[in-house]
Amino acid sequence: MSRRFLRMAALGAALVLVAGACASEDEGSSDTTEASGADSSGSEITACQVTDTGGVDDRSFNQTANDGLVQAEDELGVQGKVLESSSEADFEPNIKAFVDQGCDLIIPVGFLLDGATQASAQENPDQKYAIVDVDFFDADAGEDISYDNVEELTFATDQAAFLAGYLAAGTSTTGKVGTYGGINIPTVTIFMDGYLAGVQQYNADNGTDVEVLGWDGSDGLFTGDFEDQDKGKQTTKSLIDEGADVIMPVAGPVGLGSVEAANEADGVKLVWVDTDGCISVPDACDLFLTSVQKKMDVAVFDSIKSVVDDDFKAGLYTGTLENDGVGIPEMGSDIPEDLAKKVDEYKAAIISGDQSVTPS
Amino acid sequence: MTDTSSSGTQPEASVSTGTKSTDKQTADAAVAAEARRRATRRGIIWLFTGVAVIWLFAIGVDTSISSTFDLSTTTDLTLTVPSAATVWVLGGVIVALGVLQIVRPLGASGYLSVLVVILAVMAFLTWAGRDQAFSLVGMLQSTVTRATPLALGALAGVLCERSGVVNIAIEGMMLFSAFLAAFAASASGSLWVGMAVGVFGGAALAWGHAGLSVTYKVDQIISGTAINFFATGITAYLAASVLTSNPQLNRSGTFDNWSLPLLGDIPFIGEFLFDNNIYVYTMYVLLPLVTWMLFRSRWGLRVRSVGEHPRAADTVGINVLRTRYHSVILGGMAAGLAGSFLPLGSVGSFQEDMTAGRGFIALAVMIFGRWNPVGALGAALLFGFAESLNSKLAILGTPIPSEFLLMAPYVVTLFVVAGFGGRARPPAADGQPYETN
Repeated sequence: MSRRFLRMAALGAALVLVAGACASEDEGSSDTTEASGADSSGSEITACQVTDTGGVDDRSFNQTANDGLVQAEDELGVQGKVLESSSEADFEPNIKAFVDQGCDLIIPVGFLLDGATQASAQENPDQKYAIVDVDFFDADAGEDISYDNVEELTFATDQAAFLAGYLAAGTSTTGKVGTYGGINIPTVTIFMDGYLAGVQQYNADNGTDVEVLGWDGSDGLFTGDFEDQDKGKQTTKSLIDEGADVIMPVAGPVGLGSVEAANEADGVKLVWVDTDGCISVPDACDLFLTSVQKKMDVAVFDSIKSVVDDDFKAGLYTGTLENDGVGIPEMGSDIPEDLAKKVDEYKAAIISGDQSVTPS
Repeated sequence: MTDTSSSGTQPEASVSTGTKSTDKQTADAAVAAEARRRATRRGIIWLFTGVAVIWLFAIGVDTSISSTFDLSTTTDLTLTVPSAATVWVLGGVIVALGVLQIVRPLGASGYLSVLVVILAVMAFLTWAGRDQAFSLVGMLQSTVTRATPLALGALAGVLCERSGVVNIAIEGMMLFSAFLAAFAASASGSLWVGMAVGVFGGAALAWGHAGLSVTYKVDQIISGTAINFFATGITAYLAASVLTSNPQLNRSGTFDNWSLPLLGDIPFIGEFLFDNNIYVYTMYVLLPLVTWMLFRSRWGLRVRSVGEHPRAADTVGINVLRTRYHSVILGGMAAGLAGSFLPLGSVGSFQEDMTAGRGFIALAVMIFGRWNPVGALGAALLFGFAESLNSKLAILGTPIPSEFLLMAPYVVTLFVVAGFGGRARPPAADGQPYETN
């Protein structure tokens, strides 16, 4: 009996290992290098991406960053590798695995990888990193930090979210719009801030009183993770129950739950985030009023390109409306002309610095 | 967490075995005194709760403002009450119950505890919704929907553990069957096929769990953990390799809501209880049915005896291993049903890690429900209510930090379990492999 036991235990352990290995190695992007290779000069470069939780095919956050990597594979002939993090405990080992593999550029994706990346960057001063969504900051000393080997890719998403908020307020018929986030972290709430500011600006311009449910400028509605779509659906339903008819989920794949809730309700529109919703969730294109694009793919691609061209710049990069690092897609015919014109004016005003995107 | 008032059951049991009349009398007196003390303690807690309710939610609230509850999403049915006065009344009732309980202990105080909690929650809602309207029916709807996968998952746990097999693999079974259900429903174009395949997937993993833990006597926690890892890994791998490149295979859609004839037309209550999808109705049927089977049928007696004292069961000719296999696989089917709810009953597609820990919450729900399906339903509803409440409060903009609101479901559950008293007693042979001779 005991030998049998051992055999079964060993088999179980083997299954776990196999399953674990399958889970973290993303097939889609790691094997495509052979086929492409347009630029032979970059072919020795490896760019290695560590995702946040939620999976690389989340049609939102991780996927956008991954798109940049895939594009670099196709156009620059670099070799791309991806490790998915299924929990926060995976961040450090995943980064370390890439350091050990001798990656030329490691791309940790997400605010939550801040600590793990800093630790790794200090330990390996010759390793290059491009972290998405993080501007290193020493909270104790109250000062900005930067490393000679890390490029910090950040995005002024509040600029684009302002435009989305203005549109939301302008198209709402109930006088209530809503938003919710995954986790209460700055890279999420910056969307909500811009959205709120846009609604407030609309109210100021038109003497209306459109309310924002789910965010008041300091705290609001969160689901608590970036995975649980059923919670996203229920949360969205609560917002709809309270009368919101334009809702912006800032929660990566959890937003797919909102799509389902909006599908079931009448006359509810969504504002998708990170990517153009009509491209990443084409089935639900009708439901999207607009999208707050955070062009991580462009930033990641540029960063990889800088390594290929031997022109890597450490320090802070900020995507803005001006450099097209953030934006909203072209407005369709469903948006009234006056409103679209107004939004374009505000876009120009934000770029010139005349319009603040901070809620009052 | 449950030790606070657990001492009540033991002395009662000893009374019946006492033979000499003097022993019996002293024992009786001791029991009565202890019961009295507990009743008083409970009364004092109620009294404080009532006072706290009035102090927190009524004092300082302008008497002219009122709270409006929407009682229907389709019609204009609403209930408007003056905020402060309502809280005074609700708090007053709690205080009165507390005083009565101290002066003269009331019977059925367990149920009254629940009533006190409900009254306190109502007072809180009245306060939170003061000077605005909020959708009570929406909140209750989402309570029922949120409770469904938890209650079904807990049912899986009950079936396994009543037969003496610990099942921490509910999470893995749910995730695995969520994937299979989404895939099968998309590929076949039929939600029913998806549901059936999901149930089958849960059963398949449960069969593996039974094989490891019943036949090979692997530590049941290890076996369950292995299944969880396996499910996370295989679904993530298949999602990335199959579903990402073939999005049409991950487009299952969801079951529509059916309003039950007559029952669904009841205003307010019908809307959140009887206008739901097939999963909710299955839950209504399955939980009482399994409770009846476990505690009233011969099959149930066998399952429970195998979970309590397998040696004795074996002696009277019950096949322990086979009974355990059956129960674990039945449990796996329940977990499969719970898992298939996520794509087919809610979201309409599969996403990595979409169970997000629900299987573990279901395990907790099972324990809170005292290894009883109907108890588990109550615990699941409570948890679902707390979750709905937290999103509602965040929307209403109460001055409570969102991090605390996210904790609320867990905290509420803890409090209620502690408040309920009584000991949570697992089946005696839970987790012990049975060695046949």
